[in-house]
Amino acid sequence: MLLSCWENRLFICWVMDNQFVFDLNDYTCEFFALIRREWGFVEKLEHVSVTPQKTALVKANGVTKIFRSRNGETVEALTPTTIDIAEGEFLSLIGPSGCGKSTFLRILAGLETPTAGSLEWRDGAPSSGSDIGFVFQEPVLLPWLTILDNVRFPLDVLGVGKQESTERSKAMLSLVGLADFNKALPKELSGGMRQRAAIARALVYKPRIVLMDEPFGALDLLTRDRLNDELLGIHAETGSTIVFVTHSIEEAAYLSDRVAVMSARPGRIRTVHELGLNRKRSEALKDDPEFHRWLATLRKELK
Amino acid sequence: MSEQQLRVVFGLATPLVLLGAWWGYVVAFKVPPFVLPPPDAVLAEVVRLFVDGTIWPHLGHTVGVIVAGLLIGSVAGFLLGVLLGKSPRVERAIGPYLFFFQTAPKIALAPLFILWFGLGLTSKIVLTVSLVFFPVMVGTVIGLRSVPANLHSLCAILKLGGTSKLVRVELPSAVPEIFAGLKVAAVQATIGAILAEWLSGGTGLGYLMVFAGTTYKTPLLFAMVLITSLLGIFIYQSLATTERWLLSWR
Repeated sequence: MLLSCWENRLFICWVMDNQFVFDLNDYTCEFFALIRREWGFVEKLEHVSVTPQKTALVKANGVTKIFRSRNGETVEALTPTTIDIAEGEFLSLIGPSGCGKSTFLRILAGLETPTAGSLEWRDGAPSSGSDIGFVFQEPVLLPWLTILDNVRFPLDVLGVGKQESTERSKAMLSLVGLADFNKALPKELSGGMRQRAAIARALVYKPRIVLMDEPFGALDLLTRDRLNDELLGIHAETGSTIVFVTHSIEEAAYLSDRVAVMSARPGRIRTVHELGLNRKRSEALKDDPEFHRWLATLRKELK
Repeated sequence: MSEQQLRVVFGLATPLVLLGAWWGYVVAFKVPPFVLPPPDAVLAEVVRLFVDGTIWPHLGHTVGVIVAGLLIGSVAGFLLGVLLGKSPRVERAIGPYLFFFQTAPKIALAPLFILWFGLGLTSKIVLTVSLVFFPVMVGTVIGLRSVPANLHSLCAILKLGGTSKLVRVELPSAVPEIFAGLKVAAVQATIGAILAEWLSGGTGLGYLMVFAGTTYKTPLLFAMVLITSLLGIFIYQSLATTERWLLSWR
């Protein structure tokens, strides 16, 4: 028996001169694992990677956005854009202002409707309030509620019981390092702390996808670095799918599994890079030559 | 002297200087009391009104008109404000008429209200309501219109809409503007109640003022002006206190 990989997706399997073609998904992976276990083709299979191909959580098919200004001029904010977003991945959209990165994010969130093209969600289009988590550029909190009540707000809206919602919100607040500020009002916190609360609010209902629109853009560099590390920790812990819009090359390279480089006029995705850097990133990564090569590549592409 | 001490000194000195000037002028030029009574005569009149109890039925009447007018007018203004704020189409349809009604001088309408609703309490409350209604409505509309765009986006993400969105997000966010309208309305309500009593009826602070004016009881007139102003300030302050309590998050 022999296995080979074809186009990263289909696997061909020869068993005693018979050829079988498999689409690699969770079932076939289990099947291969079973063969390996039961029949002991360990040596033959060992060098074939059978890690599951991540299934796309959402596919954007030719998503286009054209804005019409009042005097009839049209602005092509986003030319037909096609990209798959895999479950559990950290995808960054990077590019100059006007490249349509925020527009694309808002289309994903359902805040804008595409002029053409469509989104294909694996589990059906988002219909409930718990499907999408969104973190805005500014921390959008309800100023009359305490931090705990702000984080709990989506759960209250969804009708989760008071005790459970309080527990989950408190757990989420300690995850973002705000355990001691449950009773504080938003005005009493710094910008960075407010943004952490907003992140906690976006994660507390375990959305299918978390969309972040330059969430750290308004913060100072030190706070930004710290929050980047915290975000990586949260991503590792929760396994959520994150689409992250930024204009910082370093931030994108530091955080992401994949980086989509976009360019303006008209707005489009130019290239998508799979960084393949060590997932357990830390400060040490910033001295990694591989990391710096990526920075250089991305910077060149953005010019 | 520190700034705070200076403020206390000026706070005390200013009214004392003014009262002194008033008193000095009356004594020095021997002004007859029916033209300008000395401050001590006004104070004595205020004390008399409260001690012999003359003031109570009048004060009660006026406060009743103010409170009733303020309540009815605010609720109506608030409800219509929510309707207009939430539906631009309704606003386009009836907005211009409301503005027309607002620009019409209420004092001109007052005799009409008396003609329609009689000399009793109703016409007085209607006049007060007509003054209270508009600022509260405008405050509510502005409040609902100035809900930040990001909060609307947040509601869209959480699929929060309709009444739930109104109660949980839009109205709390509009509280500052609604209260700005209410505070204007409180002052207007006091003016409206006095004006209505001025025009008709036999009780109320407004009536007492007309009585004092026509019978040359100038100290009584001055006392009424003082009491009315204090009443207005009291109503305004109680609203301001409620506002501070409600808006402690600001």
